[in-house]
Amino acid sequence: MNRKLKIVAAAAGLLLATGCATKKGFEVPGFAFGCPVGDTKVGSMEDLVRAKTVVEGRRSTVQATEMRCSKSGDLIRIDANLNNDSRSVKRVAYKFRWIDREGMRAADEEPWKPLMLYDNSNLLVNTVSPNNKAVDFRLILRSEE
Amino acid sequence: MKLIALAAILALAAGCAQEKTRYGDAKGVETLTNQYGSTDLQMMAESMARSMSQAPVIASNNLPVVTVQEVRNKTSEYIDTRAITDSIRAELQKGGRVRFAVDAAGMNQQTEELKRQQSDLYAKDSAAEMGRMVGAQYRLEGNIISIVKQVKDTKDVYYKLNLQLWNIRNGLLEWSDEKEIRKTTTRG
Repeated sequence: MNRKLKIVAAAAGLLLATGCATKKGFEVPGFAFGCPVGDTKVGSMEDLVRAKTVVEGRRSTVQATEMRCSKSGDLIRIDANLNNDSRSVKRVAYKFRWIDREGMRAADEEPWKPLMLYDNSNLLVNTVSPNNKAVDFRLILRSEE
Repeated sequence: MKLIALAAILALAAGCAQEKTRYGDAKGVETLTNQYGSTDLQMMAESMARSMSQAPVIASNNLPVVTVQEVRNKTSEYIDTRAITDSIRAELQKGGRVRFAVDAAGMNQQTEELKRQQSDLYAKDSAAEMGRMVGAQYRLEGNIISIVKQVKDTKDVYYKLNLQLWNIRNGLLEWSDEKEIRKTTTRG
């Protein structure tokens, strides 16, 4: 009886340990919320968004707040949430930059895509990588005001 | 004195009329007018190519053979719809997931070249043979429409591009998607 109890306790301990070790969104090493992060230290959604977003040109109050990725065959699917927490309509442009295994551009530069965000609103932009050479990405934002 | 004044005026006028040419960003947001422009073409082509690359018949990596048919322009303005399908084709081709068969528009040139190679000018072993062309499994076609509304100083234009990928053998629609664009111009 005592031995059985010990086994159950050990199994429960193991389960607890594995549960603690896999934080949701960080199950696969080198990925955070499905997005490739490599060796970059990413411990939260804020870290991921900071690592993957680049602001070029004029800065805007519009910011990426969430990002999730998934695999669609050998392509990367991305959902990025943009937030405008100001009291006015904001206009921004965005594009994705695709990076291959060697850190080089995996595809031609995308065109800037203009967007309008209503005041105090969110907008989800989504895309898929142009080819299977693209293993990483950056979301580039610029103000169009 | 009069001559100097005249020369000064002429120099000033020439200065005002001076043109300046600069290179710009071909991928930048273009908002000169609210007519169909380069940004619309690029956004539509990219959106459609990315969507189509996820269609099961394309994503299966069986390198399907597609032929590009007409995108009908149902807008009130002139749009070279061939430029849209050419851009989509280029993006898909670069992705390496689709092969394109010669389309109706390029058929004349294709057959002319085949016939030319069949002439006595070419070595028989290197000349392209007749009857070796590959027929497409799928055909890409679509429509672009626009709705234009204008009141006083505001003009609103809405574009919608709809593309469809049809299975030629069984007539089934394998993929379809739309891209919408709205542009509003206000004066003053």
